[in-house]
Amino acid sequence: MNLKIVWMDFIYSVKGWYRSRGGMFWSLAFPVILILLFGAIFSGVGSSKYTLYIQDQDQTEMSRGFNATLNATKLFNINIVKTDVNVTSFIKEKNIKSLIVIPKGFEQTIKNSFMNPSARVNLSFYFDPSEQTTTQVIRSVISSILQEMNKNLSQGRTIIGVSEISTITENFNFIDFFLPGMIGFTIMQGAIYGSIERNTKYRKDGILRKLLTTPITRTEWILAKMLFMMFLAALTTALITIIGILVFGMTVNISPLVIIILIATSFLFSGMGMLIGRFVKEEETADTAAGAISFPMMFLAGTFFPLEQMPQFLQTIAHILPLYYVNEGLRNSMIYLNQTESLINGAVVIIFAAVFFITGVLLTKWKED
Amino acid sequence: MIEQRFKCPNCGEIASFFGNPGEQMTVSCTACNSKGRITIPVLAQNNNSAIEVSNLKKVYGDLTAVDDISFSVKTGEVFAFLGPNGAGKTTTVEMIESIREPTAGSITLLGKDIRTQFNEVKEHIGILPQEFHSFERLTVRETLVYFSNLYKKKADVDEIIQSLDLTSHKNMLYRNLSGGLKQRVGVAISLVNDPEIIFLDEPTTGLDPKARREVWGVIAGLRKKGKTVFLTTHYMEEAEFLADHIAVIFKGKIIAEGTLEDLIRNYGKSSTLHIKKCKNATDVIEMLKQEGYDEVSSEGNGDIAIKIDYKERVLEILSHLRHDCIEYESLDIRRSNLEEVFLRLTGSKLTEDKQ
Ligand SMILES: Nc1ncnc2c1ncn2[C@@H]1O[C@H](COP(=O)(O)OP(=O)(O)OP(=O)(O)O)[C@@H](O)[C@H]1O
Ligand SMILES: [Mg+2]
Repeated sequence: MNLKIVWMDFIYSVKGWYRSRGGMFWSLAFPVILILLFGAIFSGVGSSKYTLYIQDQDQTEMSRGFNATLNATKLFNINIVKTDVNVTSFIKEKNIKSLIVIPKGFEQTIKNSFMNPSARVNLSFYFDPSEQTTTQVIRSVISSILQEMNKNLSQGRTIIGVSEISTITENFNFIDFFLPGMIGFTIMQGAIYGSIERNTKYRKDGILRKLLTTPITRTEWILAKMLFMMFLAALTTALITIIGILVFGMTVNISPLVIIILIATSFLFSGMGMLIGRFVKEEETADTAAGAISFPMMFLAGTFFPLEQMPQFLQTIAHILPLYYVNEGLRNSMIYLNQTESLINGAVVIIFAAVFFITGVLLTKWKED
Repeated sequence: MIEQRFKCPNCGEIASFFGNPGEQMTVSCTACNSKGRITIPVLAQNNNSAIEVSNLKKVYGDLTAVDDISFSVKTGEVFAFLGPNGAGKTTTVEMIESIREPTAGSITLLGKDIRTQFNEVKEHIGILPQEFHSFERLTVRETLVYFSNLYKKKADVDEIIQSLDLTSHKNMLYRNLSGGLKQRVGVAISLVNDPEIIFLDEPTTGLDPKARREVWGVIAGLRKKGKTVFLTTHYMEEAEFLADHIAVIFKGKIIAEGTLEDLIRNYGKSSTLHIKKCKNATDVIEMLKQEGYDEVSSEGNGDIAIKIDYKERVLEILSHLRHDCIEYESLDIRRSNLEEVFLRLTGSKLTEDKQ
């Protein structure tokens, strides 16, 4: 391998890119504009406003009835937490702002209360005191529901009460959520479209045929292009991060893991672009196909809006999308500083990257028919 | 007689001279006119062939795009591969360039089998693919430097720019060049490694006549420098103007091959003498027929066409005309051309008539 050729090709790619208004726009200006725009629109808005988590340890007719009542208010986006989950660590890990636990024996206690006037059961309401509005809304809704229930059960004697537990979670804004998503998305777009251009336009224009007859090897060519993709990824990340820090006062952590995820992301979507270009020969059609794949993926993978706000089945779909792991990995490592989660996400991204990139390279036709 | 190229020790110009092996002669340089003595070598390069193709075949499903063709291209000649659209030119040339896999057959370039030694050949060939379009956002000079950097063997980029008359465009972005300039840059790219063999696949298709002439000038210049050029084209004039050797390909087969003269001699009609606006044309036709000219025909308007098999016949006819004091407006002799050869061979025209 001749690294001089690799470096030379890389330099010329940068030159061409630097002169291309489209390239500059999509990899730099567009994400910046979006960040500034969304950041301004959603500034100060918590990302999980009116999102309520419920853990129903009772699993009875009555506890379900309570859930249904909450749901019927249509004020909340309700998420059910499995009974075997430890709520304290769950809240910490996922940055949950409000969670209600319906204790075991909820129904039994209410039934007993007809005989035993002192019977009493408490729901636990975990809340984040910094989220004042949300907490206030939830607190008042719950208390009015409970008041109604108590009245019906015992003419006003308090059978069901609430114990409030204040949890201090870090207060993340929408921009904290949005910034890593924007980085992942921009790198994805750059890698897919760049790869498609090389595999369709360059083929049609005879550039690939020409290169086949020159001494540059396939490995040198691919390496040079990946170097260029990583250059773009670094530039995008740096720019977006600087804006996050300077304009929005964010704290962004760039660890080795972040860099590894960024590199893997470049490989992942370059491979995906190769696969698209392999099966859709026309450049415009291939670009359309890329859009048809990357746009829904962008929405479904929770790039710009938290997945918790989406219906359950969409949340399930997200877990098979590579971009989801990129987003989560970047968020956990750059913003939430959640080591375990980000390691797992990063590992999944690397596996996806290996699969897509290797099949992409293997299936790409270098020679003509 | 064989041809041998010499480099002028004074100005560096390369020129060809003809002579017998071992012969010594005094010659003058075609560029700077300085005189010198040369010896034609006993073993001239001319005997080597740059390209050898034997029994080459390419099958696509039901279609045999290239059907068992063999030919060789001598070092230093311009070899034109002439054929209509879809004849199999690109398929052939791309198999020679190792871009497509042949279904059968073997190819050697500079004596090396491309199946096993193509990597060794890469430094010695330069190609221009059909409808080639280089990187949009590099300038002409950057483009040449880019491709030049891929090779170990390098020609001087600025010299190429100069010799292809690209100096005033060297800092323009490729995407902003006209079609003719793009093709010229394409040819320039194929020269960056100072190759021995240059492949040009339809370098002038789609260009206006002026741009076409310019590209022709470039190709003629390559020939002068002693390069071997493999040129595919569907323009007769291009092959006629540039080629030392022509192979006519039609439906995947080479249907005729040789120098222009060979082809016309073997497949064309002989020349035709046209008498324009002749008075008493019918009488003249009668007279000529009696004199033993079989193929005499009226072309209307008093025009007459007479087939000529050898030059002396023209003088004979002229003396007949003078003898009988026949008046006419003009005379011209038309030689058979490739178009006619092609029509003969295939029953169809090479280039479709433009609407
Ligand atoms: N990859 C392919 N798959 C199937 N058929 C092909 C392929 N490439 C070429 N052909 C067919 O082979 C024949 C020869 O094509 P080729 O491109 O070699 O012609 P050509 O002489 O270069 O024509 P043109 O002047 O249009 O460039 C055509 O009928 C073409 O349709
Ligand atoms: Mg062709």
